[in-house]
Amino acid sequence: MILGIPDPQILLGYGLAIGFTLACIVYGWLHWNEGDNNGS
Amino acid sequence: MAVDTLTITVLVLIYLAATLIIGYLGYKKTKNTEDYLVAGRCSHPVIIALSYGATFISTSAIIGFGGQAANLGMSWLTVLNIGVGILLAFVLFGKKTREIGHRLSAVTFPDLMCKLYQSPLLQYIAGFIIVISMPLYTAAILIGGARFIEPTLGIDYTTSLILFAVITAIYVVFGGLIAVMYTDAFQGTIMLIGMTVLLALTIVAVGGFTAGTTALTNMADLVPKALADQGMAGWTVMPDLGSPIWFTVITTLVLGVGIGVLAQPQLVVRFMTAKDNKSLNRAVLVGGPFILMMTGVAFTVGALSNVYFYQTSGKIAIEAAGGNVDAIMPLFINQAMPEIFVVIFMLTLLSAAMSTLSALYHAMGTALICDLWGRGKECALSLKAHQAGIVIMMVLSTILALLMPISIIARATVMFMGLCACAFLPAFAIGVYAKAPSTKAALYSMVTGAVVWFVWTAFVHAAEAKPLGLCQALFGKVTLLGAPWTAVDPIVIALPISLIVMVVMQLQAGKAQPAAAAA
Repeated sequence: MILGIPDPQILLGYGLAIGFTLACIVYGWLHWNEGDNNGS
Repeated sequence: MAVDTLTITVLVLIYLAATLIIGYLGYKKTKNTEDYLVAGRCSHPVIIALSYGATFISTSAIIGFGGQAANLGMSWLTVLNIGVGILLAFVLFGKKTREIGHRLSAVTFPDLMCKLYQSPLLQYIAGFIIVISMPLYTAAILIGGARFIEPTLGIDYTTSLILFAVITAIYVVFGGLIAVMYTDAFQGTIMLIGMTVLLALTIVAVGGFTAGTTALTNMADLVPKALADQGMAGWTVMPDLGSPIWFTVITTLVLGVGIGVLAQPQLVVRFMTAKDNKSLNRAVLVGGPFILMMTGVAFTVGALSNVYFYQTSGKIAIEAAGGNVDAIMPLFINQAMPEIFVVIFMLTLLSAAMSTLSALYHAMGTALICDLWGRGKECALSLKAHQAGIVIMMVLSTILALLMPISIIARATVMFMGLCACAFLPAFAIGVYAKAPSTKAALYSMVTGAVVWFVWTAFVHAAEAKPLGLCQALFGKVTLLGAPWTAVDPIVIALPISLIVMVVMQLQAGKAQPAAAAA
């Protein structure tokens, strides 16, 4: 049991939700200056 | 914990004044039709992200999803909300939509479909689906808002509903999409603050996150027999695979809501308001955490509320709320939170309702004028025509909210999301990516998706078939099929069929083209 949750599926759900949130942050950060109208 | 009406009234009035002032700023910046319809195609990334998120998350998402988690336990909803609703939506569809929208000067979702496929018929069909189905969703938001205003400000229900409808319509009618997005950003910020505080105070109320989830795990034997018989084994474990509750959780809450967000017209338009793809890249950074703090918090707090209720009253959440799932979150806030937070949460709910409502008014009004009544006409590009369209759709939605049975309205959010995904998603996805998208394929896909969705909704899926009563009237039974099909959401059936029709016909059209060229 991790963090009081016994089901790995629920833990995976939390993990993926936080993982996708981090992916959004990393994606936005890495592509911060990409894609302006000059074609970069 | 009761808060005095005067304090709430003053704070709500301050909130409304701030909203109208921000709406006025939007009105001052609105100079032409492009400003009114697509916010001048130069919105700031943070405004795009907050507007998209606040439009996506309505009161029913916070109250409804929280209540569902309290009743059925933790699940995967948030995963797809962020992974599909933000990351996939912005990266895969958002940039393409913006590029094509700019290139073709598309101003609404049906207009985009028309220009992608060079088919006015598709614009009519998409516009028609919006004008027919969106008022039902709008009515649900109106009722949610009115139910909140009635006890909070002590105004009777009908007056609350009309006031709520008119105040929101004022800044939409005059300020167009700039005013809508500005106020969305303000309201989204309030929602973010409210949900962050809610999470923190809930964790404190149950003695810490791990202590709370451990206590919740140990409450598994308190699951009501009716739910246990349908596959629920506790609040911190997934329902039994293949059980009715498993189908409800996975097909409706996880897939239905998760995928349903992708082709909602009022959200797709947000992509077309970006100046460049850089703005959308930056918006992703804000959008992901925003949605995590909305649905993620609602689901966690909803489930943990069982611990609080059990520790304080010896009842689980659904029992404490008298069997009403939608009453769980408000009851928890009132009982477990400090007085000042009750007010903050009320503003959070009002913000969630108004931000979604304003976007729906705008999408419905512009669909009526730009895509149906005035398609291809010069007059359809006048601001006055669109303002009239928004007023007409606002009045229709308000009448619907006053007349429709609540049992149907309660299913409106999930029905609208399902219909949008089944009718629009395959044609939209292929349309923005295919070099030569087939009009015939899009037409058949949209019609097939909408028809199959309707048939499954009205005759198979018990949650909608029962209140609609069509199956009962025609065949003398609630649903045509038995379990487990009655728990399978229409989106799981209709979307794949719509997608298959689209892909097969698109491939056929692709093969036919070179042959025709060779001949």
